[in-house]
Amino acid sequence: MFFHMVLERNMQLHPRHFGRDLREKLVAKLMKDVEGTCSGRHGFVVGITGIESVGKGLIRDGTGFVTFPVKYQCVVFRPFKGEILEAVVTMVNKMGFFAEAGPVQIFVSNHLIPDDMEFQSGDMPNYTTSDRSVKIEKESEVRLKIIGTRVDATEIFCIGTIKDDFLGVLGGDQ
Amino acid sequence: MSHRRRDDDDDDDDVEPEEDEEEALDEEEDEGKSGRKRRRSEFIDDVAEEDEDEDEEEEDDDDFYNGGGGGGRRGGHRPKRRSASQFIDEEAQVDSDGEEEEEDGEDDEDDGRRMHRRTLLPREDDQVDVEALERSIQARYARSSHIEYDEETTDVEQQALLPSVRDPKLWMVKCAIGREREAAVCLMQKYIDKGSELQIRSAIALDHLKNYIYVEADKEAHVKEACKGLRVIYANTKITLVPIKEMTDVLSVESKAIDLSRDTWVRMKIGTYKGDLAKVVDVDNVRQRVTVKLIPRIDLQALANKLEGREVPKKKAFVPPARFMNVDEAREMHIRVERRRDTITGDYFENISGMMFKDGFLYKTVSMKSISSQNIQPTFDELEKFRQPGENGDGDMASLSTLFANRKKGHFMKGDQVIIVKGDLRNLKGWVEKVEEDNVHIRPNAEGLPKTLAVNEKELCKYFEPGNHVKVVSGASEGATGMVIKVEGHVVIILSDTTKEHIRVFADNVAESSEVTSGVTRIGDYELHDLVMLDNMSFGVIIRVESEAFQVLKGVPERPEVALVKLREIKCKLDRRTHAQDHSKNPVSVKDVVRIVEGPCKGNQGPVEHIFRGILFIYDRHHLEHAGFICAKSQSCIVVGGSRGNGDRNGDTLASRFSHLRTPTRVPQSPGRLPRGVPLDSGARHRGGRGHDPLVGTTVKIRQGPFKGYRGRVVDVKVDRHHISDNVAVSTPYRSVPRYGTGSETPMHPSRTPLHPYMTPMRDPGGLFSSFFFPSLLLTCVADACVSLTNQFFFAFATATPIHDGMRTPMRDRAWNPYTPMSPPRDNWEDANPGSWGTSPQYQPGSPPSRTYEAPTPGSGWANTPGGNYSEAGTPRDNSHAYANAPSPYLPSTPGGQPMTPSSASYLPGTPGGQPMTPGSGGLDVMSPVVGGDNEGLWALPDILVNVRRSGEDTVIGVVREVLPDGSCRINLGSSGNGDTVVALSSEIDIVVPRKSDKVKIMGGAQRGSTGKLIGIDGSDGIVKEDATFEVKILEMNILAKVAQSG
Repeated sequence: MFFHMVLERNMQLHPRHFGRDLREKLVAKLMKDVEGTCSGRHGFVVGITGIESVGKGLIRDGTGFVTFPVKYQCVVFRPFKGEILEAVVTMVNKMGFFAEAGPVQIFVSNHLIPDDMEFQSGDMPNYTTSDRSVKIEKESEVRLKIIGTRVDATEIFCIGTIKDDFLGVLGGDQ
Repeated sequence: MSHRRRDDDDDDDDVEPEEDEEEALDEEEDEGKSGRKRRRSEFIDDVAEEDEDEDEEEEDDDDFYNGGGGGGRRGGHRPKRRSASQFIDEEAQVDSDGEEEEEDGEDDEDDGRRMHRRTLLPREDDQVDVEALERSIQARYARSSHIEYDEETTDVEQQALLPSVRDPKLWMVKCAIGREREAAVCLMQKYIDKGSELQIRSAIALDHLKNYIYVEADKEAHVKEACKGLRVIYANTKITLVPIKEMTDVLSVESKAIDLSRDTWVRMKIGTYKGDLAKVVDVDNVRQRVTVKLIPRIDLQALANKLEGREVPKKKAFVPPARFMNVDEAREMHIRVERRRDTITGDYFENISGMMFKDGFLYKTVSMKSISSQNIQPTFDELEKFRQPGENGDGDMASLSTLFANRKKGHFMKGDQVIIVKGDLRNLKGWVEKVEEDNVHIRPNAEGLPKTLAVNEKELCKYFEPGNHVKVVSGASEGATGMVIKVEGHVVIILSDTTKEHIRVFADNVAESSEVTSGVTRIGDYELHDLVMLDNMSFGVIIRVESEAFQVLKGVPERPEVALVKLREIKCKLDRRTHAQDHSKNPVSVKDVVRIVEGPCKGNQGPVEHIFRGILFIYDRHHLEHAGFICAKSQSCIVVGGSRGNGDRNGDTLASRFSHLRTPTRVPQSPGRLPRGVPLDSGARHRGGRGHDPLVGTTVKIRQGPFKGYRGRVVDVKVDRHHISDNVAVSTPYRSVPRYGTGSETPMHPSRTPLHPYMTPMRDPGGLFSSFFFPSLLLTCVADACVSLTNQFFFAFATATPIHDGMRTPMRDRAWNPYTPMSPPRDNWEDANPGSWGTSPQYQPGSPPSRTYEAPTPGSGWANTPGGNYSEAGTPRDNSHAYANAPSPYLPSTPGGQPMTPSSASYLPGTPGGQPMTPGSGGLDVMSPVVGGDNEGLWALPDILVNVRRSGEDTVIGVVREVLPDGSCRINLGSSGNGDTVVALSSEIDIVVPRKSDKVKIMGGAQRGSTGKLIGIDGSDGIVKEDATFEVKILEMNILAKVAQSG
């Protein structure tokens, strides 16, 4: 799920950036530092939409670095258990398949793939129904439901299922 | 026993009918006949039940030992029975309490023994006898010291009963196996015969202890005496004393209530099936036999041979593998298979030469002693084998029951989610609220039920839902964590966090946990993801740790090759920091991100984890096989990304973060470095001499220190260039910048400012110095403020200062150092972070690769320190940290990250700027200390011994003959200087560090040029006795050079 929220971060800025465009530098650095990162609590920071405020900088003894508390608005993405997502299959193996929904990697175990779909190995490993009408292979788009998430400091990993109504491959032949 | 009662009622005096019962009774009958019943009753507390059991067991024993144990015993003592009876005391046995009660209740005893006794007596005596018995019993208990062990006995009382040193001791005596009882009885008999001559107190035979009996006596000699002449006792073997502490253990009885029931899992203890898992199908408690279901291990061929009367080798060396019996196969081999119906169960069995089979399983009836039923943890595989297609539910229940049996105490904990698996409430889920002994109070999740329900532990099973993150707490994959994917009955399927593989485990073995682990990650010295050398000189990365072996992805780039390797097959761990060249000949070091451009894994990308023999092990997160590791030739990869942006992006934050941590490393290292390391920056000195510096007149910004950020025009060069941020093009080195060239703006040679770091003694002064030096810097570097320092070192320092312009070299260095451009992005950015000590970002990156000259030029350390805290100053350098994390291959062992070896080879070509300045400045040379500088020419002096290092060649020792004006030296090769004459650039030579009692030449300071003898070395200082003055001086080692022995 996406959220638009305000987060705060203490930015350390090298003194060489001090000058007219300090603020721009600060923002640029903030974007570099923050966008694409993942925190367990808020999920992935997708993008910064604005700066709320930049606090007073504090010079750090010894290094000359200055710490600015920066409040910024950003869009975060955090997957939740039970959430339904659309994802692109990135890899298929006999244990199931991996899909990605933006930055989140989701694993769908073969236990959570409908029983009528079977694994076919080969050049393009895939899961296919017996009548060959539905095929899940790399680059397929699937709709899945997240049944579990594991949140690390730097990564969110999910397991999902397509064994439910209205889940499975999107588009194409369906 | 009811029939015995009947006998009793019948008043049948006849003893004989009982004869067929049990030996124990038998014995008693004998006794009864003797008419000495009363006497007997005084001493025998109990016999019957225990005896029966024992005899039963003994039958079994006989099976195993073919022993005449039971028989022999009987034969041995029966004749003397009557007199012996009074000595038998089996009070210690378990059920003595019960027996005593019985005796009290005497009259209507239905106990076999009692009954027997009675039957032996003339009827009219009966009453009298009973009274007499009662009296005697009372008398006996009145005077008996025997204390009943009821619940009220306190610990203290118990304690008082424990044997002390004054009590007779217990001796362990060896006897014939299986004849323990006989031996004890023999001793008893002997005692009866000999009376008090025998000074032993008692003899004890324990059923569970074969081959030994215990004898209670005061002295060993008494035991020996008693045992003398007894056939069954090996009196000449050693008699062991039982320590007092263990005496109680000898006689305490452990109740081994084996709770064997159908469907429990057991393991066979002996025979072909030893260790095999078996399932109990029937229990005969009376006969102590169980019928178990096994997967047969039958060699059909051997069986066929046997049945056909062919020769069968007596001993089979191997145990046939376990597999299901295939009746058809057996028939084909002409083995007769009968189909029979079991009379009791009504099931049909295939009977092959006496063995019963059903559904491929072997049904075998064995003694309870030959199976073990405690702590059976069937593995999943074993259970799978037993599982038959048709009996899913059944199998589940079976394993369940075993699981329950194996549950530890405290299996359930408050908050656990559980499901009821048995009874009316089956499938009800809930949470554990409270755990009592066997009952678990659960809070059901269904409406309309009482708040909590008490459920027997055995009816509960842990429950997990898909998506739960769990940890395996016992069993084969103990320690692994993962997410529950599916729950099948009480088996859960987990997706392991690390291997991304499925693990099937019992719900009971799993606990909810948010922890993420990989289970076992190391065996011995080897850990997951280590690079190891294997036995056969191949190597690979450990990609998985199994219970006793590793999976190793071998270093074969053509195809992924995985080997299962035992611990002992690993020769050693490889953690050498090597480097390799990528597709475009850029150096690749560990942690660089590379993309594979050729071969099977083309397109994959990830950081390099290990490098060995030109093979890279790359970790690609998206690569799911082999734990994400890919093995590729370094030539088929290209380094991705550069140092660009690293410094900017992450560097800042990290740098500052780390700079705090990194304190101490630097200073201490320097002394060690002396020999090769940091040369003085002679270049700078020259410049000073010349009074001209290309920087003069340019606008600079001070990058570090208190005046950081200030800009100004350079009036004179006294500045540590590290503090100056160069123009942008230079300061943000970019990978794609042409390698040689840009840097050139600093004409000067990168100086390695010398001394500072290592001159430990100087440090403080240095601090001082710097502190007042910097103000001058503020004044755009006025004049050399510190000329007149008396101390030689100070002087050196001062003079050295100009050099600092060299500091800024780094960038330069970077620019022309061939290695630089490729400096591994990852490492570098850490290094590069500007915040870390004085070095400019550009500077660091350059440094790792360029051996030529050391990043951490002491000077730079110095430079940083502006605050005057010199000692600290050196420290902030991030090297140590950065390198520790991402050790670059270039810095083999230098924790500090300063690669010292100036490899002039690579370096020189670029140097142009450096050389020019050298000449002339003899006077300034004061300090030129160490080896390895670019400007060696400055300080090299004739007659000193140097190592000449030229590109593509090994180091050769030589003697400097002449220092040419351009800084290069004419050198005669060979340690005594009688080899070829070569001309080497100053950067190609290293001074040979003198050892103790070598002749040395002082290369720096006021005494430059004078010679002496090194009479001692103290850390980084050398104690030198000057030849001319005979003065003993303490000088920095780095300004001492060894003088060639024979001119």
